[in-house]
Amino acid sequence: MTDISRIGGARRRRDQSAEDVLTPQGIYPPTEEMLAEPVDPELRKAQEERLKAVWDEPPGWRYWSAVNNSEVGVWYSLTAFGFMLIAGVLALLMRVQLAVPDNEFLSADRFNQFFTMHGSAMMFLFAVPMFEAISILLLPAFLGARDMPFPRLSAYGYWAFLIGGIFVMGSLLFDAAPSSGWFMYPPLAIIDEGVGSDIWLLGLSFIEVASIAAAVELIVGTIKCRPPGMRINLMPLYAWYVLVVGAMILFAFPPLIAGDFLFELQRSFDWPFFDPERGGDPVLWQHLFWIFGHPEVYIIFLPSIAVAAMIVPAAARRPMLGYHWIVLSAVGTGFLSFGLWVHHMFTTGLPAMSLGFFSAASEAVVIPTGVQLFAFVATLMAGKVRMILPMLWIAGALAIFTAGGLTGVMIALAPFDWQVHDTYFIVAHLHYTLFGGMIFPIIGGIYFFYPFITKKKMSDRLGRVSFWLTFVGFNICFLPMHLTGLLGMPRRVYTYPGDIGWDWPNMISTVGSFVIAAGILVFAWDLVRPKPKQGYTERNPWGAGSLLWSHDIPDPGWGIRSVPYITSRYPLWDQPKLLERIDAGRYYIPDAEEGLRETIVTSAIDARPQHIARITGPAWCTIWAAIFTGGAFILPVFKFYLLAGLSGAAAVGAVIYWLWTSTALVPEKPMKDAGLGLRLPTYVSGPSAPGWWGVFITMLGDMTAFASLVFGVFFYWTSRPDFPPPGSPHAVPLFVGLAALCFLAAWGATLFARTQNRRHDVVTARLCLGSAAILAIVGVGVLFMSVWMPGLAPASHVYPAILWGLAIWTGAHMGVGVIMQLYCLAGSMFGKLTPRYDADLWNTTLFWHFLLITGLVTCAVMGLLPGLL
Amino acid sequence: MARPGVEDGPEDRSLWHMIFAPTVWAVHFAVCYAVQAIWCAKIGGDIATLRVVLVAITIVALAIISFFGFRAWQRWDYFHDRDYIHGGETDEDRREFLGHTGFMLACLSFVAVLYVAMPFLIIGSCI
Repeated sequence: MTDISRIGGARRRRDQSAEDVLTPQGIYPPTEEMLAEPVDPELRKAQEERLKAVWDEPPGWRYWSAVNNSEVGVWYSLTAFGFMLIAGVLALLMRVQLAVPDNEFLSADRFNQFFTMHGSAMMFLFAVPMFEAISILLLPAFLGARDMPFPRLSAYGYWAFLIGGIFVMGSLLFDAAPSSGWFMYPPLAIIDEGVGSDIWLLGLSFIEVASIAAAVELIVGTIKCRPPGMRINLMPLYAWYVLVVGAMILFAFPPLIAGDFLFELQRSFDWPFFDPERGGDPVLWQHLFWIFGHPEVYIIFLPSIAVAAMIVPAAARRPMLGYHWIVLSAVGTGFLSFGLWVHHMFTTGLPAMSLGFFSAASEAVVIPTGVQLFAFVATLMAGKVRMILPMLWIAGALAIFTAGGLTGVMIALAPFDWQVHDTYFIVAHLHYTLFGGMIFPIIGGIYFFYPFITKKKMSDRLGRVSFWLTFVGFNICFLPMHLTGLLGMPRRVYTYPGDIGWDWPNMISTVGSFVIAAGILVFAWDLVRPKPKQGYTERNPWGAGSLLWSHDIPDPGWGIRSVPYITSRYPLWDQPKLLERIDAGRYYIPDAEEGLRETIVTSAIDARPQHIARITGPAWCTIWAAIFTGGAFILPVFKFYLLAGLSGAAAVGAVIYWLWTSTALVPEKPMKDAGLGLRLPTYVSGPSAPGWWGVFITMLGDMTAFASLVFGVFFYWTSRPDFPPPGSPHAVPLFVGLAALCFLAAWGATLFARTQNRRHDVVTARLCLGSAAILAIVGVGVLFMSVWMPGLAPASHVYPAILWGLAIWTGAHMGVGVIMQLYCLAGSMFGKLTPRYDADLWNTTLFWHFLLITGLVTCAVMGLLPGLL
Repeated sequence: MARPGVEDGPEDRSLWHMIFAPTVWAVHFAVCYAVQAIWCAKIGGDIATLRVVLVAITIVALAIISFFGFRAWQRWDYFHDRDYIHGGETDEDRREFLGHTGFMLACLSFVAVLYVAMPFLIIGSCI
């Protein structure tokens, strides 16, 4: 994330200066005289009409093909909220069961399904998707962008989420839901009969893929779609949090996907990754799960704090005190939260020193977390606070979260944790952190942003009723659980005997849970009730300073009328005339002459304009892609492997159609007037292009998943004396070496294709691409031969199983690499990819850089490791 | 106003430079955990040597973090204009912001490395 090329700067990338590469031309930054010049009213009207036509949502039933961030964001948030209500009902049913001892309201098995689905749904179907939904909805407005950089990707993510969510939640209706707890520990989850565990593993993997897609989009949006002038030090704090959380998702979710991959291989084909009798180790799952699971807590917490960071300055009517302190704490928490995962595993018998590392890091993370809370309190103390309704929810959140944080400091100490592990004390702690760190700020945020989203207001009176019901109910429900836990009541028991002191606290908790439910219902009613009599809200109802509140009422769909030049952290407070100039179309890209959806792409750090990006519009192919991807994940649950394969192929087809017809299209003219005397390229390739960043960021996540598999190999080596088992055959070194050479050659040929294509040597470029694809296929074939020839049987022991697992992983990735090479080859043949317009080839090469690492590390582990161990 | 003689280089507009210090923390953490796990599982025996190794790794990590912290401090250049808000629109504001945040991240990473070092200073066994 550096700004290398600058307008007219001496430093230019070698390969960019080679040929035909267009850079921005003209005046930047704009002068005050240019900005003060009025816009011709007739031109303004014509521009408005053109923009409106381009950004209009499709009519009638075609509405569902919309990909606008404002539509997708609303669907996404409402769906996540719906799943939250269902998961909340499960919690109420569990509380009814636990109200009195020896209750028979729910059977043990149903109770197991309910607590598993309550946790899974709240985490995977509500907390993380809610962050992404709200960010998709709000981020472009905070950044003065017309839309997200890849609107169809958001739509794809949403439909994947909806399909996966309905599949996972629907299993409850068939009494087939997963029932081994939301962290699916083996061996219980492996020996569990029925399809519950498979539904969890495959259904949620599918949703995780959608989450990663959204994270990629949010990161690229934050670093490439800021308005001109909004340097990194002027970015709204919300965007900082999105950046940090997006990066955390990239490094946290892939280990779980790698774990799911191993777990499902064991469930389906009996490969013994977690079976100690054949060299496996169930603790590996715990590691992979919690490397995901603990950062996940902060992935949930930070976005909510981001919402708070937007509300606090508006309530205090002053800029946030210590902007850089908040950035410090967001980034610091992002890092430190990856050093905590073993504190969920204090009772697994790891060496005391290992526990010490994680205990110490768990205490250290309190420093940045505390810093951000103190920054909020200081801002409130320094400003003139109005206790607006959103601020009330934030105040409640701070109180509850702090209480949860304090119990967190207690249980980060291993000896204390040994006493309360798996008791209701933990249940109380985690609900205090999640309610305080997520539910309260999000609801406060909904009240705050509702006028932006719907252009109407929610009821202040209902909001206060809802707050007090939820706040009081929460404490009645969860405060006694600390005591229940200290009295020894384990979590996840479906009933308990009377007269051991647990009766009363449980009854009180049940009463409290229904008070919370009443509060949430009041909120839900206020959210969805029709408000026909109420007129539109004023434009900036809270008097806030962020660019978001420059929104148009009613919503014309175009995001922002013209993309402004920003010089302050709180533009609406500090830049007079900003609003009228945005509305007049005085700033950048005020028009849609070609009838295309466009947004402006700027450099990562200083937000210098680089490119006018054409972005995608309404489409059905994203929905088809989501349906077929869903089929590829869901059908294996019922062992329909052939159908799943076909569905996967159809998904690939749909995605290729989508990319071919709408991305990296050759523009009608190479440069375009962006307004204010600036001309920008309409097509860029390489690191200036959002697509290149999308590939880069996706592959960072992919590398993390691969690193988790390699971690697994070393984990077995340290934890097991029989790895590799004595006398076991190994992968054939000759073949492994050949495979490595093939991968290296395929990578080199791809890279050479890119350089030759730039030099107008299209024939060589095509030859290179074709032979690179063949080399990659041969390499994969030889790699499989190397494990197949010596008769390594994956079901016999974990050593052959993990070698096969690595080979499958690498083979599948090479498959994607080959598809990309052939896509470029076809593009070159059919005039979609030319020496000047070569973004696809840049992205393919970037993908192959990462692929080469995967291939060579796999070969090194398979070929060299047996000799070293 | 930009300080005369201070040229804005690529490292002054780089987020990567800002997060070097916490990256060192992450590497230190992972290395300590891995060395300790391998030592206890495969080598065993002399715990005193393990502690010396870990202390040496920690000193190296602290030195690197201090170096990055110092570079960030220079980028912040506090004593030049005593600015700690960096809310302006100039190259200098952005450079000082990245330096300031990088410096504070280095301080946090320094303390966090010390936290992680405590277990092997206190605990003297593999059990």
